[in-house]
This record gives sequence, C-alpha cells and structure tokens, in this order.
Amino acid sequence: MLLQKLIGRNQRLDAYLDVAEFLSGLFLVGFLWTHMLFVATIIFGTKIFNKVPAILDATYISYVGIFMVIIVILLHMLVAGRKIPANLQDQLIIWRHARRLSQKDTWTWVFQVVTGISILILASIHIWAILSGWPINAQISAGRVQETFFWFYMLFLVVCEYHAGIGIYRIAVKWGWIHRQKVGKVLTVITCSIVILGLAALLIFRFVIKAGGAP
Amino acid sequence: MIRRTLTIEVFRFNPQTPDIKPYMETYTVKEVPNMTLFVALNTIREEQDPSLMFDFVCRAAICGSCAMLVNGRPRLACKTLTKTLPSHIKLLPLPVFKLIGDLSVDTGTWFRHLNLKTQAWIHTDKTFDPKAIEERMDNETALKIYEAERCIECGCCVAGCATANIRDDFLGAAGLNKIARFMVDPRDKRSDQNFFEVIGTDEGVFGCMGLMACDDNCPQELPLQMQLAFVRRRMAMTGIFGGK
Repeated sequence: MLLQKLIGRNQRLDAYLDVAEFLSGLFLVGFLWTHMLFVATIIFGTKIFNKVPAILDATYISYVGIFMVIIVILLHMLVAGRKIPANLQDQLIIWRHARRLSQKDTWTWVFQVVTGISILILASIHIWAILSGWPINAQISAGRVQETFFWFYMLFLVVCEYHAGIGIYRIAVKWGWIHRQKVGKVLTVITCSIVILGLAALLIFRFVIKAGGAP
Repeated sequence: MIRRTLTIEVFRFNPQTPDIKPYMETYTVKEVPNMTLFVALNTIREEQDPSLMFDFVCRAAICGSCAMLVNGRPRLACKTLTKTLPSHIKLLPLPVFKLIGDLSVDTGTWFRHLNLKTQAWIHTDKTFDPKAIEERMDNETALKIYEAERCIECGCCVAGCATANIRDDFLGAAGLNKIARFMVDPRDKRSDQNFFEVIGTDEGVFGCMGLMACDDNCPQELPLQMQLAFVRRRMAMTGIFGGK
C-alpha cells in the first residue's frame, strides 16, 4: 500500500463517477430525443410548432430546462471524458489498437470521443444562436435556417444523434440485461427515425416556412 | 480444390537480443486440408526456421497457451483454421502481456497476479469434513458457476481490451468474470463490500468502458457482456448504498 493511496482516497469515487456518467448520459439522450420530437412538430404546421415553446415558456420549463441541460452537458463532459487518455502516447496506443482490432464497438468509442468534443463546440454555437434570438417560434427558426445555419444544423443533427445513439447503446451494454445485438438493432431504428424526422423538419424550415419575426 | 500458398508474416523480436529491432518475417506454407495455425506454425518451425518462438501445449483450445493476434484479432492458433483466413496472414504476439520472444508471451505471471489480487478461491469459515456428504447446490447456480469457470485464461479478452492496453493494473474481463463466479457461489462468504474493495475502482469493474472486444474475441464464447454488467450493477449498488 502506498501512502498517497492510503490517505484521503475515496474508495467509492470511481463508482460515483461511473453512475454519474450513466445518469447524465441517460438524461441527455432523453432530452435530445424529446427535443427532436418537439422540433419535428413543424411537420404538422407552424401553429402546433409554436404552441410547444409557448407552453414550455408559460410553465417556466424552458428557463430551468436550458440551464439544467447546460450544467448536465458540462458534467457529462467531465465524467464521460475522464476515460479519454490524457497523454498522446496512450491516445496513439488506442488508435493503433482500434486499427489493428478493427472491431465495431472499439471504433464507435473512438468516434464517440470525436463527436463528443465536436458537440461541445456545436452545442455552444447552437445555444448561443437560440438564446440570442429568443423566443423560439417557427418564423425565427426558419429565418435562422435559411440565412446561415442550414448546413450547420445538418451536421449538428447527425453528430448529436450518432453520439446519443451510441451512448445509450453503451449504457445498455454496460448496465443492462439484454444482448447487445438486439439493443443495437432497436437503437439503430430509433436513431435513424429521429434523424429522418430532424431532416424533414430542417427541410421544411429551409424551403416551406416563411421567415420573419423578431431577429 | 486448388491448394493455396499461405504467406505468413510473423513478428520477430527477442528481448534477450534487444540490439536486433523488432521486424516482420515472411514465410510461405502450402495449405493442407483442415490446417490450423498451430499446424502451419509447426511446419514453419520444423522445415524453415527452428528459431521461431511460440507457445503450445494442448492443441485443443483448452490450455490457452497459443493465443496471438491473427490479422490483428486475438485468437487461439490451435482453434483457428487457415481456411477461415485470407492467404496473407499477419501474426503478432498478444499485447498487454510480457513478451518472451516472437509470438510467445507470459500470461502466467499476469494471471497469477490476478488470482492473488482477487483471492480467487472460496472464502469460508467451515472446516472441511472429508466424511460428510457433499453439500448440495441448486442446479441453476451450479450452471452459472460452471459457465464462468470455462475460462481458460488465454488472455484474448485482455489483449482485445482498450483499457487493459493503456492501464496495466486493469483486471480485465477475465478477472471480473472470475469475481462474478465467486459472487454467485453460495459457499463463498465474502460480502459485496469485500468484493467492492478489490474491484470497485477503475482498476476493476469501473475501468471497463464497455467496448466488448472481450465478448467478441473470447475463444470460449463466455457471456462476458452479461458477466461484466452483472458485476457492474452489483458493485455500483454497493458503492452507492453500501451493499450487504
């Protein structure tokens, strides 16, 4: 036993961190999927779409929710990111290992790291854009997509849904009872469906809705 | 059927002669029906290069000595038929374990450390009475234990594990599967808290990132996904709520 490990070492810390990774991931996937379903209400028209933020605003869910999501994203970055090797030598070992092994789940983890870091940047831009153009309604969103953000949101959609899909798969594999092939199939269907809904919403914003309203 | 000529690229390095840097040496072997890599490597050693180092004992996938990276993936050479491989085969020793030379690694020291660390024996306060009738165990529990016990300690799960490749203290699927075996054994009197002290950290179950290369590459096809998840759930409960 070494002194530094004997004194002041919290034996339970690694367990807490792993559970925090699991819970924060689960929360963010839940948020993202709900978020995309709300966005997809544009398929049914601007009236229904505009009702969603109105209700969320009236019940203050959006104010508490956005703040909470930002906090959880930061928490998730710390607890899930703790598994990313800190030094370049170890990163290279993982890279060579993944290439040699060419196993699907190892590669998806490497991409999970890449998409995770991308999301930090993309989500910051997204949140900034939304908050600076508050409130949310179909006209403002259409304006945003038509002016500058179309390709940004195409990328953001795919990267986020990939990260969420693989993330929830990993949670199921690490904690669950069901064989991962079954889990993988179900989650692929869900993820593809949500990406399609998101794409449909984006195309509607881009080509159907008339932009306008407050900047 | 036209017989293929196999090109086998083998990693060569002897730690005794560190001046000669690691290199890949290429051999060609005529494929024969039902040829395994075990047969191919022995043919090379007998007919072409007696200095080639690799391990074998049982040649029947029981001893676990002949694990190596076959085209990058951990496999038992004796269980791998050459007909399942392309005609160009690249062989490397297992990572993580100490290299003895060429394809030979020392898994023994690693597994001995594992068995000592996890105290892989039944902990009981009962004194053994050789005359008494053996205590019964329900069949379901016995089957669960036997399933985990099928591990041959070949090291394929450890070599395939990303965590084990960068953390030399990680116990790997072999270690956690072993713990799972003692967790379900009613004769073992260790509490979950006892197990938690050994594997409730990143050295143990929380070091696993769930990449499942262990599950994909286990030659014994052990249900490692289920075993690891079982241990993780149990240890998380113990860590958070204190356990039994």
